[in-house]
Amino acid sequence: MGSVPLRFSLDEADDRTLAGRAADGDTRAFEVLARRYGPLLRAYARRILGSSDEVDDVVQETLITAWRDLPSLNDGSVVKSWLMRIVSHKSIDRIRARKNHLDVDDVDAVQPERLSPHAVSQATSLHEAVSQALATLPIEQQRCWVLREVGEQSYEEIAEQMGIPASTVRGLLSRARRNLMTEMEAWR
Amino acid sequence: MTDLDNERDDLDGHTIDELSDYLDRGRTPLDPSIEGSPGCRIALSSLERLRQISQSLVEVDAAAEAPRNDDWLGGILESIGREARAGRDIPLLPPSPRATLSVTEGAVRGLIRAAGDRAGGLIIGRCRLDGDVTVPGTPITVSIDASVFWGERIVETVDRAREAIYSALLKHTELTIASIDITVHDVYFAQVAEPEDSAEATDSTDASASTEGDAL
Repeated sequence: MGSVPLRFSLDEADDRTLAGRAADGDTRAFEVLARRYGPLLRAYARRILGSSDEVDDVVQETLITAWRDLPSLNDGSVVKSWLMRIVSHKSIDRIRARKNHLDVDDVDAVQPERLSPHAVSQATSLHEAVSQALATLPIEQQRCWVLREVGEQSYEEIAEQMGIPASTVRGLLSRARRNLMTEMEAWR
Repeated sequence: MTDLDNERDDLDGHTIDELSDYLDRGRTPLDPSIEGSPGCRIALSSLERLRQISQSLVEVDAAAEAPRNDDWLGGILESIGREARAGRDIPLLPPSPRATLSVTEGAVRGLIRAAGDRAGGLIIGRCRLDGDVTVPGTPITVSIDASVFWGERIVETVDRAREAIYSALLKHTELTIASIDITVHDVYFAQVAEPEDSAEATDSTDASASTEGDAL
């Protein structure tokens, strides 16, 4: 039955169709989803992790988990944000395993690889400027900002994932916001 | 933290965090003390712009992402493929009283997808077999989610698929089918793949040409 001539390409199918088929065991449909959102998952993981080192592993884990859990996803049309959620969890798990139990405030005090303050003003597009401005922030602030603005997660969700109090998340986001706005003033 | 606030004396007593929360609430209820402050309005619009750009940051990153080599994804697909979704065992009439024969629910779903897709004009999505498929004779309702290509007559397309699925189930299983419910969740343009089988292609082109305009 596997080689029937198809008159459509699954590549064109909508997310709900693909997620539904994958939930039912269609690996071809899952492959289309993986190709469709793979780059996004990688990019998101890279932003959360702060480096490319573990991106492959995290996305691989994400896809395996997604395949396993798809049957429990009731609304296949939200598969994109569902995948984003899984990849952010996997990324945070990595980070937490990596540093075990570092105080966030300590981490905040360390300023890893901060970009030169000129990078933002020299950006050639608004996207690049924001990207550069973000890169000047301490990694914990970047991470919270990305989870909040890209992942659209609540303070509580971020706090739970990162294993820190919601008030800390609020503080990190507050600082991120202010820092970004200050950085962006250089661009105008 | 407060230093930064103090620097922003143009916010008429408001803070960036307040403005951010205000945006989170969708600027409702309207706060005249914020809306009436030129400083706040400027800050609100740069905050909004910052968020919009941030939201699309990962999409932009993704577009620039170097294509991943297929071996990597291939390896993942291979490992997940081994974890088949068999589901329940559906008994078939045994060739002798001492033998048992069954087909998995997963295989029957595959059969439904293949038959429905082949009927043309739609793509089968998720499907569910409601009823105790493990007990022969139990009336089974098949619920199918599908999307129809734009330009197809929905009712005809669905009827054709239902017929095809019914025949396939009749031929390959011993399920007692009470009904086959097909829900169309989407209608969209599909780039019909240039099929090797030209008879089918002609058929499908005709169908979309003749019903254009009156579909939906």
